[in-house]
Amino acid sequence: MVLANIITVKNLRFGYPKNEVLKGIDLTLHDNELVCLLGVNGAGKSTLLKCILGILKHQSGTISYGNVAQAINVGDGNTSSESISSEDLDPMQMARYMSYVPQSVKSSFSIDVYDTIMLGRRPYIGWSISELDREIVSKTIEFLNLEDFAFRKFNQLSGGERQRVIIGKAIAQSPRVFVLDEPTSDLDLKNQIQVMKKLKILVSDENSPKGALVAIHDINMAARFADRILLMSDGEIIAVGAPRDVLTPENIQKVFRVTSDVIESQEDNRFWIHVKDEIDGELDDKHVIWEHQNNENEG
Amino acid sequence: MNPLSEQHILKSRNQIKSIVLLGITTFVLALFAMGQGPYEKLDIWTTAKMIFGFETPTSTEHSIIWRIRFPRILMAIVGGVALATAGALMQGCLGNPLVSPLTLGVASGAALGAAVAIMLGLSVIGGPLAIIGNAFLFALIVVFIIIQLGSTHSVSAESYILVGIAITFIAGAITSVLNYFATDEQVSQLMHWSFGSLGRVDRDTALFLTIPVVFLVPLALKWSWDLNALSVGGDEFAISTGVNPAGFRKIVLVLSALLTALVISFTGLIGFVGLAAPHMARVIVGNDFRKLIPSSAIFGAFLMLFADTLGRTLFAPIIIPVGVMLSVIGGPFFMYLLIRSKGR
Repeated sequence: MVLANIITVKNLRFGYPKNEVLKGIDLTLHDNELVCLLGVNGAGKSTLLKCILGILKHQSGTISYGNVAQAINVGDGNTSSESISSEDLDPMQMARYMSYVPQSVKSSFSIDVYDTIMLGRRPYIGWSISELDREIVSKTIEFLNLEDFAFRKFNQLSGGERQRVIIGKAIAQSPRVFVLDEPTSDLDLKNQIQVMKKLKILVSDENSPKGALVAIHDINMAARFADRILLMSDGEIIAVGAPRDVLTPENIQKVFRVTSDVIESQEDNRFWIHVKDEIDGELDDKHVIWEHQNNENEG
Repeated sequence: MNPLSEQHILKSRNQIKSIVLLGITTFVLALFAMGQGPYEKLDIWTTAKMIFGFETPTSTEHSIIWRIRFPRILMAIVGGVALATAGALMQGCLGNPLVSPLTLGVASGAALGAAVAIMLGLSVIGGPLAIIGNAFLFALIVVFIIIQLGSTHSVSAESYILVGIAITFIAGAITSVLNYFATDEQVSQLMHWSFGSLGRVDRDTALFLTIPVVFLVPLALKWSWDLNALSVGGDEFAISTGVNPAGFRKIVLVLSALLTALVISFTGLIGFVGLAAPHMARVIVGNDFRKLIPSSAIFGAFLMLFADTLGRTLFAPIIIPVGVMLSVIGGPFFMYLLIRSKGR
């Protein structure tokens, strides 16, 4: 079976004056695939996601969205086999194709959780909410177990609850591509696993093809749920492939500056990364300086 | 149907009921206000019958109701709806609860225009409309500055507010200078303009101002989804649901500023409605703009009618300007509402 490319990025560059953030990125995303983007703070993960979403305008390179016309019913049939770039799409079409979970949301006034998730239906709604929109939102709330606070105000929720609501909005948007920027950063352990599992369920559904691009810090989550991993460092992708091939102690040391072991699980075919220690040892020195200053103050 | 969907529909229906109730209350208040005044005081029932043609008024009653009171009541409603809608729109698209239609400096511009007409005798049009014409022209200059600002690359919500504050300071300073060199009579004339009164508006003006308001409110309702997305999640979140925040913000601000300019050029400074009415509406229907906009508009009309009627009757035949009345009675009421809603 040949899987369609739903996102193709070629030689993408983005930068601010004096600071090049993305230095020629190539990546592809297929249907039924969950791709995790790993890398240290400032590696350019969020910037890459924002370029793909059209929030930031890249300076060179191309981003194309395969089979968009088919997916969102805008084509006349002839264009469906060609890939389409961001210039060809209006914001509403982009929003039907891709949904986004940002790292944080800046909420100034808040509405009910139900209505917040309903915003995922905005690209489809003229003005009034249809029965289908309501049904999709209600199902999404049940799917993510958000029933308990469905009619509470969004800003009265805890950080983790808010994050799940925003993920709910992204799911209700029924996109072809999920673009998630650290969707589990505020979640407790159980919810982290639950959210990743549910995302995996959505992406694996062969009747409604979808893909997900997820920036994440937890390498063990990535190892467990990703179909492929992109390892990013300093604006470049330095390794791509199946989790086992990419998450080697050598690669992890190169990117994250920590030593680690790969541990094979006995009961199933899984593995995890045991992170041991940082290798530069900067912290010890700083600790000493800090103590020294304290002594001076006392004296 | 899914129980969650049912609950959502039920909640929505209850909110719509509150809005309708608010609308009816405001309408009754308008009828009552039509009967109030120093002469020919009529009870609300008689007024209703006269207005809807079930009872023929005497010629004095007819001319008092239709020539004197009707323009005033209409202007209270139109002005209240316009300023409150503009306030709700601006708070939403700038993501800031402190914003009011006066934040962008439109009012200070208008006041400077009025000062130039009164003190320097310079005006775009002569005659009785000199002050109004000038106020509107200067307010338009402010709108033009906003358009220019909106066209620059990646302007944020904060920059609009900061530029508005800068405009307010500059226009205020020039007005102060003019005031300093003016005669006592000129100073009192400017003071009088700035009070904010509905008495200066005749029937044709009130009807003329109704037209843009009738267009704006449905347009604002159409923007509800975008406003919800922007105010719940900020710019990036809004983009991901299909909004273009920069373009949207510019259009919304320009239209709100224009509408504000139109109203306050004729009435003088009325600031409180645009700030308070959206917040009062929030207490009742929450922040979903599909309900917030109509309820803000009705609250705006209600506040204006209430303050003006009280201003006309409290110390009759002396009329206290609506702008003053609004701040005096509206301020404490507003604080009460805010404290009460925070307590829940």
